[in-house]
Amino acid sequence: MISRRIWLWIGATIILALLPPVVLALGQPFYLDLARRILILAIAAVSLNLILGYGGLVSFGHAAYLGIGAYAVGILGFYGIGNGWIHLLVAVVASAIVAAAIGAVSIRTSGIYFIMITLAFTQMLYYLGISVAEFGGDDGMRLKTKSQFPLVDLKDPVVFYYVALVLLLLSVFVTYRIVNSRFGMVLRATKSNEPRSRAIGFSPYPYRLAAFVISGAMCGLSGALYANHTNYITPNLMSWQQSGDLMFMVILGGMATTSGPVIGAFALLLVEDLLAGWTQHWQVILGPLLILSVIFFRRGLAGIFYNPDA
Amino acid sequence: MLEIRALTKNFGALRATDGVTLTIEDGETHAIIGPNGAGKTTLIGQLAGDLRPDAGSIRFAGEDVTALPAPRRARRGLARSFQITSIYREFTTLQNVALAVQAASGRTGFWRPAFADESLLFPAKKILEEVGLEKRMHVVAANLSHGEQRQLEVAMALATRPRLLLLDEPMAGMGIEESQRMIAFLSTLKRKQTIILVEHDMDAVFRLADRISVLVYGRVIATDVPEKIKLNEEVRRAYLGEES
Amino acid sequence: MTFGLLFEQLLNGLQFGVTLFLMAAGLTLVFGIMNFINLAHGSLYMVGAYLALAAANWTGSYLAGVALGLAGTLVVGMAVEVVALRNLYDRDHLDQVLATFGLILFFNELVAIIWGRAALFASPPSWLAGHIDLFTGSRYPAYRAAIILVGLVTALILWYVVTRTRLGMLIRAGASNRTMVAALGVNIRLLYTVVFGFGAALAGLAGLMAGPIYNVQPGMGELVLIQVFVVIVIGGIGSVRGALVGAIIVGIVDTLGRAFLKPLMATIVSAPAAESAGPALASMLIYLLMAVVLAFRPQGLFPARGG
Repeated sequence: MISRRIWLWIGATIILALLPPVVLALGQPFYLDLARRILILAIAAVSLNLILGYGGLVSFGHAAYLGIGAYAVGILGFYGIGNGWIHLLVAVVASAIVAAAIGAVSIRTSGIYFIMITLAFTQMLYYLGISVAEFGGDDGMRLKTKSQFPLVDLKDPVVFYYVALVLLLLSVFVTYRIVNSRFGMVLRATKSNEPRSRAIGFSPYPYRLAAFVISGAMCGLSGALYANHTNYITPNLMSWQQSGDLMFMVILGGMATTSGPVIGAFALLLVEDLLAGWTQHWQVILGPLLILSVIFFRRGLAGIFYNPDA
Repeated sequence: MLEIRALTKNFGALRATDGVTLTIEDGETHAIIGPNGAGKTTLIGQLAGDLRPDAGSIRFAGEDVTALPAPRRARRGLARSFQITSIYREFTTLQNVALAVQAASGRTGFWRPAFADESLLFPAKKILEEVGLEKRMHVVAANLSHGEQRQLEVAMALATRPRLLLLDEPMAGMGIEESQRMIAFLSTLKRKQTIILVEHDMDAVFRLADRISVLVYGRVIATDVPEKIKLNEEVRRAYLGEES
Repeated sequence: MTFGLLFEQLLNGLQFGVTLFLMAAGLTLVFGIMNFINLAHGSLYMVGAYLALAAANWTGSYLAGVALGLAGTLVVGMAVEVVALRNLYDRDHLDQVLATFGLILFFNELVAIIWGRAALFASPPSWLAGHIDLFTGSRYPAYRAAIILVGLVTALILWYVVTRTRLGMLIRAGASNRTMVAALGVNIRLLYTVVFGFGAALAGLAGLMAGPIYNVQPGMGELVLIQVFVVIVIGGIGSVRGALVGAIIVGIVDTLGRAFLKPLMATIVSAPAAESAGPALASMLIYLLMAVVLAFRPQGLFPARGG
């Protein structure tokens, strides 16, 4: 007996899988690019949903890991290392280490402090990125070589698209298993009622830190893919605006839902693309739109399609 | 089981706990009573591990736990229920208890679904049966009646297989019938557990307690068996005065 | 490195610190009393700079520019509070963060529409454009000295208001226990609007004073804002005293770091290494400081929160 939710996922996957041939037949390769970009950033949104949606940690510094993942690919390429597996390994491990360091200090705080601290640390990394002139500094760096994998050529836009799609589905699945596991339940319970969790014997800190690290690592993966996608890496990838964008994807789509971050990524990035087509000053429209969505649109878009998981 | 020595806690100029010394024996049900403002909540907070005393010590089962934070005390077998209901409102009754069982098991996992795990669900169901909530297993906790939520509080404390149960006004806000049922349940429970019971409901206190300590202005003014407490002059003046 | 140079950089640090303090004071009060996290505070800083510059250009008078800039920022701040932010006081921090994030995007783009994206040039008034002589023998820009003076005077005024007036008492009470103050029958809405307006004016003042020194451009507020966050974390939420101490510390550490870390490092490691690592490390200094403070006192140095 397959539930409605699974049917929706299957349907969405089929649509996304059919996108490249359709779009190319229509002679609109731009949309392939756009869709791929959305898929890659959706992975970042899924990772943020783990700590933000399920864990209740308002981390305003998640874009840091996009940057770390991207720069890992860029810097390794700069030194002549093109092996894709090494790229991915370094991207994920470096992100995990930085997440562990930032998390270790930040998770001891809560509320407003936590938000400000995560933002501050990400800004620190952003300044680090700007000041290291060797890797382009403020202007960023061009990708010397894409990640090279056997069998799979990322230079082929369609192949790359499918790689991104597969990795997104994998991320969604892995996150789904994690949040329903014992570990995930503690994370969610602690978000729901922290004193109660402490009273039965759960120390919030280790669980939150672990979630923070997993989330950072997954976002690093997204960053590595993003570098391959844009071929150009700038510190702006680590800016607070990028962090805010990721948060909006999670909120807009519906926090603590499996499909929320994906829906949110599509919604936000498509709206941004649409507005950018109208005017170069699209942010003056997006800003108030976002404000209104926060004031009125609390449950997120996922709530429209079905009743999201508890 | 629990040795409290010269426990002191100040909030600025207010001495909320004033040199409390108390020993809870293995297997007894020890009630702590006192008028409002006596410092019961502060005392519970320090026993549970939410508040750090300024002076004094707490020894639990022979071990000094004074500096131990609440989660670690809970893992050592000190369970508590909250005076103001504090449950996981979005989870079902069964899931609430299952989480407590999981906490006691000390095992975690990253892949297999927690709420499909029989090793968690089976003990949880047994506890719900003991407490009398098994028919409401799959009801979302927020939709339980107030009395049922208080029962859930106790169930969660029990699910961690505690050596000592700290019950903070379990009957708070309950009607007569619900209170009677809770008292009946606690009567069966007290045979198997060491319990510290903080309560205002005097009926419950005198029926359940093996010994009673009376807390006034942060100090224990008397510790004795219920009959002697009833007759104690100081206690009557401070607390029972209007009623008796 | 002469003592004169060190002292000059100390003064620069003090000047930067004073700018940070003006921003931090308003922000920390809003945090403490209204439990409201306002990312758009930096936008008010930017608005102050732009309005003052525009007004000065229009009237030809620097002081008129200052007055109009301050008044304008106050109006904008209150308008934003009434129109957008009021609805958010009861919401959780996440919603507040997102909504004020939207405000930032809006203001940055609005400013770009009106005045363009390129940085504008603001100059200090002619009567402050010179230098003053320091006791060390060197000379110091009069404008920067004026900023320090204005900042310290404002700090004094703030101290007086917060500790010696009824309004200040309400503010302090609200910072440590908001519900109590409301329960005592104080008109909370009015208090909130006043506090917010206060904060907006201070931010505008910081912005218009900073104009001639730093760049006047869209997004200028956010660069400062994050450093203001560091100040508040170090100083403690809700505490003006903490904001002052934190701001001075951050200002001095950051300025001295940028000025002296590279040459200092060059004496230990090779010159090219210092060349690349020096500036990077200097820019990270205040964040490392924040991490250290957090490790020992997660609530900051002078937390105001009690109940």
